[in-house]
Amino acid sequence: MAERMTFTINGKEQTVDYEPEMMLLDLLREVLNLTGTKHGCDNSTCGTCTVVMDGKAIKSCNTPAAKAAGTSILTVEGLAKGMELHPIQKAISESGAVQCGFCTPGIVMELYGLLEANPDANEVEMTNALNKHLCRCTGYEPIRDGALIAQKMIKETRK
Amino acid sequence: MMKYKYVGQPYNRPDAISKVTGKAVYLDDVRLPDMLHTAVLRPQFAHALILSVETSEAEKCPGVVKVVTGKDCKFRYGDNIKDLQPMAVTKVRYIGDPVAAVIADTAAHARAALDKIKVEYKPLPVYTDARDAMAKDAALIHEDMDDYWRLPTLKQASGTNIANTYHLVKGRGEEGFDEADVIIEEEFNYPLGSCAAIEPHGTIVWFKEDRTIEVWSTTICPFIIREDLAHSYDMPVSDVRVHTPDLGGCFGYKSDVTTEQTIAWIASFVPGRPVKWVGTREEDFTSTLLAHGIRTKMKMGAKKDGTLVAIKSIIYHTGGAYADTAVNVTIASTHNSTGPYEYKHCDLTGYTVYTNTPAVGAYRGYGHQESQIATERMMDLMARKLGMNPLEFRKKNFLSEGKVNAVGETMWKHNGNLLECANRVDKMVFGKPKPAEDDQFVYGRAMVTVMKSPKGAPFSTKGCYMKMNNDGSVNINMGGAEVGQGLRTVIKQVAAEALKIPPEQIRIYTEIDTQYSPYEWQTIGSMFTTQGGRAIIRAADKLIASLKSTAAQVLKTDVDYLEYDGEFVFLQNDPTIRVAVADLARGYITSDGITIGELAQSVSDARLPRYSNPDKNGQGSIGVSYTMGSQAVDLKIEKKTGKVIINHFYSVFDVGQVINPLQIRGSVLGGVLMSIGAALTEEVVFDKEGRITNPHLFKYHIPTYKEAPEQTIEFVETPDPIGPFGARGIGEHSVIGAAPAILNAIYDAIGVDLFEIPVTPDKVKAALEARKELK
Repeated sequence: MAERMTFTINGKEQTVDYEPEMMLLDLLREVLNLTGTKHGCDNSTCGTCTVVMDGKAIKSCNTPAAKAAGTSILTVEGLAKGMELHPIQKAISESGAVQCGFCTPGIVMELYGLLEANPDANEVEMTNALNKHLCRCTGYEPIRDGALIAQKMIKETRK
Repeated sequence: MMKYKYVGQPYNRPDAISKVTGKAVYLDDVRLPDMLHTAVLRPQFAHALILSVETSEAEKCPGVVKVVTGKDCKFRYGDNIKDLQPMAVTKVRYIGDPVAAVIADTAAHARAALDKIKVEYKPLPVYTDARDAMAKDAALIHEDMDDYWRLPTLKQASGTNIANTYHLVKGRGEEGFDEADVIIEEEFNYPLGSCAAIEPHGTIVWFKEDRTIEVWSTTICPFIIREDLAHSYDMPVSDVRVHTPDLGGCFGYKSDVTTEQTIAWIASFVPGRPVKWVGTREEDFTSTLLAHGIRTKMKMGAKKDGTLVAIKSIIYHTGGAYADTAVNVTIASTHNSTGPYEYKHCDLTGYTVYTNTPAVGAYRGYGHQESQIATERMMDLMARKLGMNPLEFRKKNFLSEGKVNAVGETMWKHNGNLLECANRVDKMVFGKPKPAEDDQFVYGRAMVTVMKSPKGAPFSTKGCYMKMNNDGSVNINMGGAEVGQGLRTVIKQVAAEALKIPPEQIRIYTEIDTQYSPYEWQTIGSMFTTQGGRAIIRAADKLIASLKSTAAQVLKTDVDYLEYDGEFVFLQNDPTIRVAVADLARGYITSDGITIGELAQSVSDARLPRYSNPDKNGQGSIGVSYTMGSQAVDLKIEKKTGKVIINHFYSVFDVGQVINPLQIRGSVLGGVLMSIGAALTEEVVFDKEGRITNPHLFKYHIPTYKEAPEQTIEFVETPDPIGPFGARGIGEHSVIGAAPAILNAIYDAIGVDLFEIPVTPDKVKAALEARKELK
């Protein structure tokens, strides 16, 4: 039987019905039609399903939907303010980090989780975060470039 | 050198914003009214007769609308060999063969009901390697192979599992070895792998009440799918409409018909409602196309002075349960097994063999890396035997201007400056001394030279439609699939250059829809930049001619007396007598409302010039364009574990003209890393029963962020007279060199020759042990 819960999605409180066996990814994609979060594998290896829950990047494909109750979830759809892109989106879109784009939402959200909490993240922290994501197109170098530009932009806005 | 205004600049891709905001629409994001979902039952055996299929229990499950089997399916399909069926009828031939399917209200309900379908099988012998399937007493995987339609250029070996034998002879063939002083022979293996794009395959098919079929699929060949489905369901091609949404990577296995016929068969049982299927990652491995699976036996003969005289290659291709998609990979692998070198005598044979594994299809590189792993290892082995420097030996035999390649084409200067590429890479990798072996590591370096031909077909045409708007901006529509390679940016820059207007005034199509898109065979073979680019330039020329034709009437002169600069059409001798381009877009409208001339729009196309089918000796024209280059690796081996760590990878290709420096670097970076994955970790592994033991990304390891080496990438630019503004293809070439370079560098490090990939730590550990014994 369907269950009901309330949580905050991209800044808006919402009450939803969901099946108890659902994962958060299914809730986002199939119930809320937030298709920006992607499904790339079935066992939390590829990282493209990454969203931010209460400020922390998590994989939504192995997080039960029920766990979202009472939390605040941010997906890639919630980053831009109208036409104004978040600095991470801007940097990633300009550094060559986007080719097919299927891993992009996960990487953007990973960096959001990392850099919003810790704009001074060091190289090891950055590397460990990005190592949770598979990209088959870019060879990762342009993703690193984009992440570093994003970090610089975020630091500047915090000054 | 020619200077261009827009070509050669690092413009950002037009689809970047939609992709970073999550608004790009991929297949799984497509939602249609009243849509149903399907899940497909795969067999427990890789080769078995189907005795019975019992579906009644599954039909009673929650949400289930229909259960479908292959019973009564009468047709076969395939572009090269019609050996495929949308669903198994009498037998299954590999572990991913579709046996039955459930259609339900949700994907979860469809999957849940699969367990309730009962199938009785009679198992048959299983072959997962071409060599075993070629054995004399092997059971036949396709008993009725002789009845299948096939292209007239293909020839099966009746009563065997050999789906096709391709044979090329140049000069005196194998007899030519009598001119050689030194002959070596070895066997190499490039095992089965997966393109493993991050987006799995998916398809939606809708049989509509108006007797049309509408399809959405993760495909780079919507036009082939359209023709194929029309043929299978006996409809006019015009009544099948295929959409390609945004694609989350392709790398080859989303070319050709893959899952579309199966989903169409399923959807045909619920006419009026769209049916969606999205593969699990496991199905992406077991039930779509695999890659490679090529063993190369190579014999090479040279004179004492280092002149190559003869080559004999035998390609044993584990083609999979259906050979339709493998057969051209085999052929490309066979005739390109010479690498970028000239031999007077060639005897090249390629066997496409039916096996009980998923069908092999395209993978970036299309057969080239699979046989050139042999070529480039053999070049080093031969150089060693001759006592020559490996680079000097290669240089002596390069397919340079005036040389004749295996298929019989005379090379010209426009095939690129391989010598310059090789010299640059040589300096990069060997420019500094190699670190001496220490307690932890032993170091190795090696370089290779590679080439790739395009893979054409008689109908490999690309169309282009452009229309100018009443403000002088231009919309361009083509059938080329954007898989991430950056094709839309290339179109924009080439069109801007050709039309002499800023790229900001040009908008490129975002979706392929066979109802509107100009025809394109399929977006493969590193051909879009060259062939699509030519189509754009031809269309631009026509558009400009049309503008001039209207302007000639307005300015009361002859067309050939007019000039065009992107903003105005004007008299050659007096630029002040002119008309604005924007005023010509809808024809020229006079102050009294009379329209003069025609709409500013144009259609054009381009193909591989003079492509031809192979003749009786396996020779023919591949279509002019080759790209050549050189790659090198600098690696170290961790002695304790046998782990190979790539320190640095080098690539230099002669691409004619760089269209977009940001994108071309990205393309090579990614291609190199994929091929490092193939060389070090990636192999689709089968057990004896033909089951894949690693059909998940945590078991089939593709390179991660931490494993990406630093790369140096440079380009030589010898303009190509055929490609747009001198450019030639580069999409696939970067994947060819890594495997042989790494194996050659392992020899450089430890003096042990390896002949197959992936070189996993256990294999390198064993090689390190072998080295101790050598000492």
